[in-house]
Amino acid sequence: MILAHSPIVQLGIRAASPLAIMVGVYLLFAGHNNPGGGFAAGLVFGAVVTLRTIAGIQRPTHAIQIIAAGMAVVVLTAAAPLLWGDVLLDQKVLSFKVPLLGTIKTGSALPFDIGVTAIVVGLVLSLLDGLSATSLTNSPAETEIPS
Amino acid sequence: MSISLLASIGGLTTVGLYLITARSLSRIILGFSLLGHAAVLSLLVAGGPPAAAPIAGGDAPIANPLPQALALTAIVISFGLTLFLLALAARQQALTGDDLVEDDLEDQRIAASSNEEDRSAAAST
Amino acid sequence: MIWVFLIAHVAGVGCAAVAGRSGIRTALGVAAIAPTLTAMWAGVSMASGAPPTTSTFPWVDGLGLAFRFRTDALAMMMTLLVCGIGVLVFVYAIGYFAPNAGGASRFPASLLAFSTSMLGLVWADSAWTLFIFWELTSITSFLLVGHNNTDAAVRIAARRALMITGGGGLALLAGLLLLENEAGTSTLTDLTPVQGSAANVAAVLVLIGAATKSAQVPFHVWLPGAMAAPTPVSAYLHSATMVKAGVLLIAVTGPAFTGLAVWKAVGLTFGIASMLWGAVGALRHRDAKLILAWGTVSQLGLLVTLLSLGTAKSIFAAVSILFAHALFKAALFAVVGEIDIRTGTRDITELGGLHRTMPIAFAVAVAAGMSMAGVPPLLGFAAKEAAIEAVLGLSGFDAVVGATAVIFGSVLTVAYTTRFLITVFGPGPTTKVAPRRIAMTIPAVMLAGAGVLGFIAMGTVNAIVRPAAIELNPKAEVYELLRWPGITTGLLTSLGIVAVGLALGAAIARRATPRIPAPVGADGADAAIDGVLKFAPRLTGRVQHGSLPVYLVTMAGVATLAALPLALDGSTDHLVAWDHPLQALLALVIVASAIAGAFVGSRLGAALTLGAIGTAMSGVFVLHGAPDLALTQLLVETVIVVGFVIGLGHLARRFPEVENTWRLTRLVVSGLGGLIIMAALAAAGADPSGTPPVGDLTAGAVEVGGGKNVVNVILTDLRGLDTLGEVVVLAVVAVGILALGSTTAREEVQ
Repeated sequence: MILAHSPIVQLGIRAASPLAIMVGVYLLFAGHNNPGGGFAAGLVFGAVVTLRTIAGIQRPTHAIQIIAAGMAVVVLTAAAPLLWGDVLLDQKVLSFKVPLLGTIKTGSALPFDIGVTAIVVGLVLSLLDGLSATSLTNSPAETEIPS
Repeated sequence: MSISLLASIGGLTTVGLYLITARSLSRIILGFSLLGHAAVLSLLVAGGPPAAAPIAGGDAPIANPLPQALALTAIVISFGLTLFLLALAARQQALTGDDLVEDDLEDQRIAASSNEEDRSAAAST
Repeated sequence: MIWVFLIAHVAGVGCAAVAGRSGIRTALGVAAIAPTLTAMWAGVSMASGAPPTTSTFPWVDGLGLAFRFRTDALAMMMTLLVCGIGVLVFVYAIGYFAPNAGGASRFPASLLAFSTSMLGLVWADSAWTLFIFWELTSITSFLLVGHNNTDAAVRIAARRALMITGGGGLALLAGLLLLENEAGTSTLTDLTPVQGSAANVAAVLVLIGAATKSAQVPFHVWLPGAMAAPTPVSAYLHSATMVKAGVLLIAVTGPAFTGLAVWKAVGLTFGIASMLWGAVGALRHRDAKLILAWGTVSQLGLLVTLLSLGTAKSIFAAVSILFAHALFKAALFAVVGEIDIRTGTRDITELGGLHRTMPIAFAVAVAAGMSMAGVPPLLGFAAKEAAIEAVLGLSGFDAVVGATAVIFGSVLTVAYTTRFLITVFGPGPTTKVAPRRIAMTIPAVMLAGAGVLGFIAMGTVNAIVRPAAIELNPKAEVYELLRWPGITTGLLTSLGIVAVGLALGAAIARRATPRIPAPVGADGADAAIDGVLKFAPRLTGRVQHGSLPVYLVTMAGVATLAALPLALDGSTDHLVAWDHPLQALLALVIVASAIAGAFVGSRLGAALTLGAIGTAMSGVFVLHGAPDLALTQLLVETVIVVGFVIGLGHLARRFPEVENTWRLTRLVVSGLGGLIIMAALAAAGADPSGTPPVGDLTAGAVEVGGGKNVVNVILTDLRGLDTLGEVVVLAVVAVGILALGSTTAREEVQ
C-alpha cells in the first residue's frame, strides 16, 4: 500500500485541497444550470478526503454523523412542502445575489443537493474507515494461494 | 443506432456474465461493474442518437434527458453496490484469508443427508 | 345474520382454548354455546319460513373475489345437521373424556374450529368461499384425528387423511378454476350447464376433490385410519358432517355438470365401487368402529351414486338419505364410543351379551341400525324407500346399473348392520361393564330418537328435506317422504332386501373369528407419502446444491432464452457503424479492456482495467451529449479504483486459479447472453414506440424546477423521490461497510 507519508506529497495535497474543494463547491451550485450537482460535488470532496487519508494528513472519522446530517437535510427538504400543503419534494425557486458568484437562482433543490453531497462524502469516509481496518494498518500479504 | 455502442454493450455483457459466474468475489465485483456499464449504455442507446448536452437555452437540438437521468441513477446505485461488495470481499478475506465464494454449507448438508438416507436404505435392503 | 354466527363461532374457539385451563369438560361446555345458538336460530328461522338470505363481504374487488354466503333451504338443512349434531357431540364428549384428560385447550377449540369451517362450507355461495372452508375442514380434521399425538400410528393416520384430502383439495381448486372459466361465474347458485372439453376436465377434477373428501374408493383409505380419532370426532366429522362435504359439493355443482356424460360415468364409478367395497369392508372387519367407518364409505357411495344418476327423484332420495344417515350414523358411533369406554374394547369377537348389561345402548343401536338398514318404522326406511323408487323408476342402462348396484348395496347394508347388532349385543360372553356415563347416553338416545320421531312426524322432515332437494332440482317438488308407500314394487323390493340381508348378516355373524384384512390401501398410501418425503430432499439436494456460479449460469441462461424472441425480429436499416469515429475507438478500448480484465491474473491489473473502462465510458457519454454522466462516471471510477486497491490490498496479488472446470459453459452462456442482448437492443431500436418528450421535459425543467440542466432538474425535482430512495441506498451501504469493517477491526484487536 502506498503509505509513503512523504512530506512532499503531503505538502502537495495540502496545497491542492482548497482548490479541489472550490471545484466541489462550484459543482454543487452549478448543478442546476450546468453539468455538476450534489452527487458530483460529494465525489470531489470524497476524493479530497481520500487523498488526505492516504497521505496520512487526516483520519476518516465521523462518517456516521455526516451521513445522519445529510439524511436529515434531505428528508426535511423533501417533507417540508407537506407543511404548507404542497406535494412531497415540491420546489421553491429563489434567486439572490452572492458575492463572487453573481446572481444565483436556486431553490429548495440546493439544500437537497447539499444533503446528497453530505451522504456521498459520508459514504467515501465509511469506505476508507471500513476497509482500512484490514488494509491501511497492516502490510499486505504477498503469499500466493496455491491452486 | 450505433453498432459501436451495441458492440460495447455486447462485449461488456459477455465479460460481465463470465465474471459474475467466477468463484473469486473480486472477479464477481468486476463482473457486476461491467454489467452496470452495459445497462447504462443500453439506456443511452435506447434514448436516441447523440445531440447537444441537455442544457436549456441553447440553439442546437438537445439529447433526450430522461435516459440520462435514469442512467445517472443507475451509475450511482451500481457505485453503492460495488462498494458494498468490496466491503464484503474484505470481510471474507479477514475471515478466510481469500475471497472465494464457497458453496452454501446448509444446502450441501441437505444434499448430503438425502444421499446418506439413500445409502442407509440401500444397506438395509 | 350469518356473520354474527360465524363470529360467535370464532370467538367461541378462543374462549374454549382459554377455558381449557379449567379442564376439558368446562371447555367443551363453553365450546357448545355457539353451535347451540346457531342451531336454535336455524330451527326457528326454518319453522317461521324465513326467506333465504345472502350476504357478501368483498375481498379482492379487482379479481371479483368476495366471500359470499347464502341461507337457502339446503344450507339451512346442513346448518341444522352441523350445529344440532354438533351440540350433541359436544355434550357426548363431556362424557367421553375423563375430567383430567389431556389436550383440554386443544381438543374443544379444534372441534369448534372444525364446526366453524363446516358452517362456512355449507353456507358458501361462491366457489372460492367454499374452497377456503373446504381446506379449513381438512386442516381442523387433521388436528382432531391426530389428537392423541404421542401415538405414532395416530400421527400416520392423521397425515394420511391430510395428504389425501389435501391432494383432493388441489384437484378441486383446479376444477373450480376451470368451472368458473367455463360457467362465467363463481356463484354456485348461478351455475348454468357447461360443455366442452374444459368442462369435462373440470367435472372430473371436481369429482376427484369430492371423492377424496367423501372417502370414495380408491381414496377411501384415509377414513378407516381416521378412526384413530376420539369417538366424538368420528361421530361428528366422519359420519355426520365433513365426509358429507364431498356429497354436498357434487350436489351444488350438479346443475353445471349434470349434462356431461363423463360426470355421470365417473360419479357412478366412484359411487358404486364405494357402495359395494365399503359394504364388503364392513362385513370383514372386527373392530366395531371400523365396521361403522366402512359402512360410512358404503353409504357415501350410495349418495354419490344417487346424485350422479341426476334425476329429480334420485336427488331427492340422496338429500333424504344424507339427512337420515347423519342421524343414525352419529347415534351408532355414540353407542360404539360408549361401549369402548365402558368395556375397554371394540373388538366384536370379545364383545357379546351387551343387550342385558347396556340396555339403553342396545335400544339406541337397534333403532339406529334399523334406520340404517331401512326397516320401518324409522326415518331411514322412508329415505331408503325413496332411493329404491328412484332407481326402479330409471330406464335403459341407468336402470340396469343403478338398480342392480343400489339393491345389491342395500342387501349388504342390511347384512353388516345385522352382523354388527348380533355380534355386539347378541348372545355371547357377557363383557364386564363399567358404570354408565349419562352425558354419553343422552346424545345417543336423542340421535336415535330423532330417527323414530322423524318417521312419526314425517311432515316436519319433509319440510326440511323437500325444499333442500327443490333447491338442487326444481322438479323434485313432486316428491315427498312417505310413511307407508302402499304395496308397490319398491316396497316389495325393500322387503326382499331386508329379508336377504338379514339372512346373510346372521350367517356371517355366526362364522368363527374372521381374519382382520390387511390395510393394503392404507399402507400403499403411506408408502406413496413416504416416497414423496424421501424424494423431496433428494430433489432439493440436486437443484439447490449451493453453488453460486451454477445458480448464476442457470439464471443468465434462462434470461437469455427469454430475450431470444425479442432478438429475432427487426430490421437492420437503422444501424450505423458509429455516430462519431471516436466512438468506435472508445468501443474498442472498452471491449478490449473488459476482455483483458477477465483474463488478467493480477488483482491490481483487473482494478486498473475497470478504471480504463470507466474512463472510456466517460468519453462515450461526452460524445453522446451527456456531460453530467461523463463527470459522474469519472469521479465514481476514481473512488472505485481506490476502493479496490485498499479493499483488496490484503489479498494475494493474483487470483486463485480454481475455476477452470466451468470455463467453457460459462463462456458459452455469457457469449450467448451478450449476443442476444445486443440483438434485442438493435431490434428494439428499429421500431421506437414514439418521439421522446424532450421539449416538454425542457420546458418543465425551466418552469417548474427553475433550472436549465434538465437532467439534474429531473433528478432533484421531477423524479426527486427516486433520488431520495437512491441516497437512502447509499446511506445504508455506508452503514453496512462501517459495520463490516468495525467487526473485523474488533476481531483483530482481540
